[in-house]
This record gives sequence, C-alpha cells and structure tokens, in this order.
Amino acid sequence: MINFAQGEFAVFGGLLTYTFSCVLHIPILLAAVIAIICTAIIGALMERLFIYPLRNAQIINVIIATIGVSILLKALARLFWPEEAYKVPEFTSSSLTFLGVTQRSQTLWVFGLTLIAVMLTYIFFNHTRVGKGMKACSINREAASLVGINISNMSLYSFSLSAALGGAAGLINAPYASYGSGLFLGVKGFTSAVVGGLGNTFGAIFGGLLVGLIEELIAGFLQVVFGISSGYRDAITALILIVVLLLRPQGIFGRREGVKV
Amino acid sequence: MLKVEGLSSFYGHIEALRAVDLRVRAGDITTILGSNGAGKTTLLRTISGLVPARYGRILYFGKDITNLRPERMVKMGISHVPEGRQIFGDMTVRENLELGAYLRYRRDPSSAIKKDMDFVFKLFPILKERESQVAGTLSGGEQQMLAIGRALMSKPRLLLLDEPSNGLAPKVIRDIFACLQQLHQEGITILLVEQDVQIALNIADYGYILRAGKIVLEGTAEELSQNQTIKEIYLGE
Repeated sequence: MINFAQGEFAVFGGLLTYTFSCVLHIPILLAAVIAIICTAIIGALMERLFIYPLRNAQIINVIIATIGVSILLKALARLFWPEEAYKVPEFTSSSLTFLGVTQRSQTLWVFGLTLIAVMLTYIFFNHTRVGKGMKACSINREAASLVGINISNMSLYSFSLSAALGGAAGLINAPYASYGSGLFLGVKGFTSAVVGGLGNTFGAIFGGLLVGLIEELIAGFLQVVFGISSGYRDAITALILIVVLLLRPQGIFGRREGVKV
Repeated sequence: MLKVEGLSSFYGHIEALRAVDLRVRAGDITTILGSNGAGKTTLLRTISGLVPARYGRILYFGKDITNLRPERMVKMGISHVPEGRQIFGDMTVRENLELGAYLRYRRDPSSAIKKDMDFVFKLFPILKERESQVAGTLSGGEQQMLAIGRALMSKPRLLLLDEPSNGLAPKVIRDIFACLQQLHQEGITILLVEQDVQIALNIADYGYILRAGKIVLEGTAEELSQNQTIKEIYLGE
C-alpha cells in the first residue's frame, strides 16, 4: 500500500524538532527523539481514524484517503507553523573537508543514521517475530490472520513505524522545514521506491541514491549550460517518475506481477 | 467438539448459508461435500471467523465462538487451510512454517516448535528438501503440503481443510490424503470440504451434503457412498 501522507510525516519531523529545540530549548538530540515519537503518534492516529475504518474497502479508496490525510496534515502544519520556512538546527555545526571537498558535518549524520535505520528495519522485518508478522500481512492479509496474526494491530504498528521513519528522515535531512514541502518529499520518496521496484527495500535505497544523483546532475547541467534555475529540480523528479512508470513500471529490481496457480 | 447451529451468512448480498446445522465429533474426519457454489467455502470461512455469521451460532467444546476474530480461533486450536493455499509466496518454506507457529513463540519453548517442524518435515519430506526455497516457486502439490504444514505448526486440535485436492494430479491427491489419514491417526480432528466425493468419503467417518447453502443429506461415510442419489449425482454411476 502507498501512503501519500508520508512526506507530511517528514515535514512534521522537521517542524516539531524546530519547536522543541529552538522554541522550547530542549537539547537537539533529545528534541529529535521527542519529535520522532510525536510523528509516530500522528501516524498511529492517522491509522485509527482514517485507515482502520476503511479496512474492508478497496485498496484504491484507502490510497485516496491517504491523500486526504496529507492535505489535512498540511493544513494543520500551516496553522501552527505559518512561516515560509523554519531552520531546523543541525546536530553538530562543524564542517569537515575530505579529499578537497568541504561538507557540512550534518551530511555524515544523514549518512550514518540512514545506514542505521536501514539496518534496523532489515533486522526488524527479517529477524523479529512482529516484523515477520508485518511482512506476512503485507503479502497476504487473510493468510496472516489464519496463522494467528492480529492484522489490525499490525496495520497500526506499521503506520506508526513508517511515520517515525519519515519523521526521522525529515528532521535529519532538511536544513529547512516548511509546511509546503511535504508533497514533493513524498513524491521523491515514491519515485525512489518505484525506480527501485515497489516493495523492495534495497531497491528503494538504490532508487533514492539514483534519483538524487540524476536530479542533482540534470539540475546542475541545466543551470551551468542553459542558466535555468535549479528551482526546476522537483520537476526532474516528476519526469523520472513518469518515464519509469511508462518504460519499466516494475522498477529496476522489481519482478513482473504474476501469480503461480 | 464443534457444533454449528442454524448458521446463516452472506456472500455479498447473496445468502450463501441457510440455517446450517452440523456436528464434528472429536477424533473424526467429517466431510462437507457439494458442487461449486454450494457454500462449502463460506461455511469454513464462517467457522474460522473470516466471514461474519448473520444468524446462528458456533460452539467449540460447548463454548460460543461465533464471530470471534480468526487469530482467536487459532489460539483455541482451530486451524484453517484456506482455499487456494494462500501461502506466503515471497517467503521461504521455513519462514512459512515458522509463521504457522506465530502465536506459540511466547507460549511454548522453542524445542516444542522445533519438534513440530520436524514432524511436518517427516510428514512431507519434500518440504525439508525445499526448506530454504521461496514458497512461490513450489509446485501446486508442494504448496498444498506447505499450507497444511503451516496450519499444523499452530498445533491445532481441529483442522479445517478447504479442497486440498483442487487442481492437483491424482497421484499427488492420493499422497496428500494418505497424510490426512496419518494426521487423523495422530488424533487431529478434521473438517474437510471437498468437491471430489469419492476420495473424501474414502477417508471420512461422517459426511454432509451441502446444496445451495443448505444441508440436504447427512450420514456416515458408508451410508453416503451407498446412497442412490449420491451415486447418481456425485459419483456418476
């Protein structure tokens, strides 16, 4: 299932971190943890209020409901954080030079924490009982309930977990957070997942790197050669999405849909 | 052991079951026979909680279990092998079997679960050979064996089976039914839904004929195989 409110979780992760750290003056790491917990709670509420009541509906209706939730969350974010953008503090504010390239130290945090999140997610889905149950639910809900898995709880856990991960991504990644950026964060995530092959964890990571690189290279190329503003970079992502959906809808690592009878 | 009283349920807007009464005695193989669309699958799905019962009730050891969620049924020892096998195709054979024991990891020591997995591998040696293979790549017969094996991993007292013969070659069907008989000897009670009347009556103790959502005939397997109407309609004699 695709959750189009995923980008909104990232926005909330960033905005909440801003409030906790810059307004309430909580140390940044603690502020980040609280923000992640809050985002997880938002995800859980979303599941109970909007997804759970649709548990017997067709999947397309549920997906449309997630679009509705994303609009709602965006409006809420705008209500509480009306400014165009908020500066989310970095974990450490030094910069470092490696092979002649100077980088913000935040880049290292992004890299390291992403790696840890990916490893934890992998371990969770493949080596823990609840994680395997969740995976079973995603493959076949009915069969999962017949082996004794409580599918309603699993849905709640998975929404909380993905909201927490989205929130974490939003707060480590964005130097700025704004109520309006959720949609394109979501589209970028979705594009990465589609490029790698929907449902394939490592495909999604690879897709993310690939989409980021392509976007950066094309935006840079357009700016240097034609003087076109890099503000068009979001359009590049959308273009990648369209091209992949047209030419290879199963993604790079995806298999074609097919059921053996 | 299991008693169904006046059970009615709907498939969409169609009344798929009309006041069905049936009994499953502990230790028996009870079979529900009937043609396509007679309501056999809906009956099993209602018993295991996948389809809500509109009227009537289901008693298990005298306890009312009508409309409990499927995972509660598993906890109480009722395990359903669904129509079309419904294995977890992206997971390995071993992972499928482990998920069968999902509710037992907190309750039972891992040695007990290991013992049951060995039992399943002894019953279906081919699954042992395919242990780390992705389940979706198995043949139809192997998938059926895996579905039964997965259901056994919850250590059921009552096994509900929905058309295990469906789409399989005669030899594979014989193998699977021989295994069902073996399970029966181990003391597992079986409620078997089948379209293949002959093969079901061969191993069953008692049977019901379901037609258009109603029980139209019941009797011991022997009585049913001697019944003139059944001979004509279902056995083609």
